[in-house]
Formats: sequence, structure tokens, C-alpha cells
Amino acid sequence: MPVQRFRSGEEMNAAPIRVPSGDSFDRFVRHCARYRALFPRRYPRGVFRFRTIEEAQAARERVANGG
Amino acid sequence: MDRDELLRVLRAFEMEGLEYVLIGATAMGFHGLVRATEDVDLFVRATPENVDRLRRALRAAYADDPSIEEIRTTELLGDYPSVRYYPPSGDLFFDVMTRLGDAASFETIEAEVKEVEGIRVRVATPAALYRMKKDTVRPLDRRDAAALRERFKLGGND
Repeated sequence: MPVQRFRSGEEMNAAPIRVPSGDSFDRFVRHCARYRALFPRRYPRGVFRFRTIEEAQAARERVANGG
Repeated sequence: MDRDELLRVLRAFEMEGLEYVLIGATAMGFHGLVRATEDVDLFVRATPENVDRLRRALRAAYADDPSIEEIRTTELLGDYPSVRYYPPSGDLFFDVMTRLGDAASFETIEAEVKEVEGIRVRVATPAALYRMKKDTVRPLDRRDAAALRERFKLGGND
């Protein structure tokens, strides 16, 4: 797949890329740090509990959308 | 995600003997499939002793953040099998699960050990990650599943 198209930077950053297994951990954390620099977010602090994965996912989306 | 912070937490997990397995994008990163994320997803074995280990490890990594005491054993082992912890650093957060529906738990996830900076990290195998992601409705998970299938030649019974 020589060319991939994305509608946004966030979509691009969410697309998995293959890296050599030897340095995958460092590539992973660098990639995450770059994403955070491009799309900074404010997170709440503390502990939140969920009964289901759907509840957890909905809460994550509320935070991502600034809610 | 801060490299040193993540390593500090993984080291604390090992030091405390936490029984866990990484899943999600962090696990994929260990397998050489890199995408951006800010959360660390993990299953922990659902025993009171292991939840104690989890709290001790997080206290060691986050200098006694008082909110860690809100991770309650009775809840994680009872009606709230998923807990999200946002540490004071603000750079990442943890989704800690004891089970996912009726299908997945620490005991059911096939795992392997990776090593980074001398720290042994228990990571779900590519096939286990693929099984968790392939039938979900989230587009992100479906994309992950496709990448896992292509990279590790998975499919069929995987």
C-alpha cells in the first residue's frame, strides 16, 4: 500500500504503521509524543469506574470531545 | 506518552509482581505496529491480592497520588470491571480491566513476554489482539484488526 489517504491529521495518526521489531517500543512512544504535541488534550485527574466497555468508551469520547 | 513515565510504571508492575497483560495500541506497539494512543490498556488477574499489587505499583510510580486509593477491590472484582486512572502527569492514562463482557479476561488472553530496558512486559499476542478487535464496531479497532491480520498473516481460526 504505497499511498494512504486521510481526512485529518488525527485519522492519519490513528493508522497503524509497520516498524522493525527491534526498535518498535521507542518508535511507538515517539509517535505518541508527536501526536500529543499536534493534538494536545486536557484530561481529568483521578479514577473513574465503568460497568461495561461501552460506558468506558463513551466516557473516553466525551473527554476527547472536550465534554 | 512519555517514555520514562511508561517505563517507570512497567518497572513498578514487575517489582510488585502484578499479574497483567497489556492489550490495545500499547501492545500493538510492542509488536511493531505503531499508532498513536494516550492510554495503556491492561487486564489484571481478578484477585484481591493482585488489585493490592496494582495499587502498590501505581503508588510507587506516582508518588502516593491519593486518588489511587479509589481503585477499590470490591468494585473491580464486582460490578465495575473497568477502571480508568488518570495520573497527575497528564501524559497518559490507564484502562484497567478484570474482564471484558463474558469473553475476555486475564486468564483467557494469550500472552508473551517482551523485554524493554531490562523490564519484562507481558503483552497479548498478535492473534489474541486480533481476536479482540476483529468483531468490534469501532472503526479504529477494525483498522487495527486489519493491520494485525496483514502484518501477522492472521485469519481463519485466529
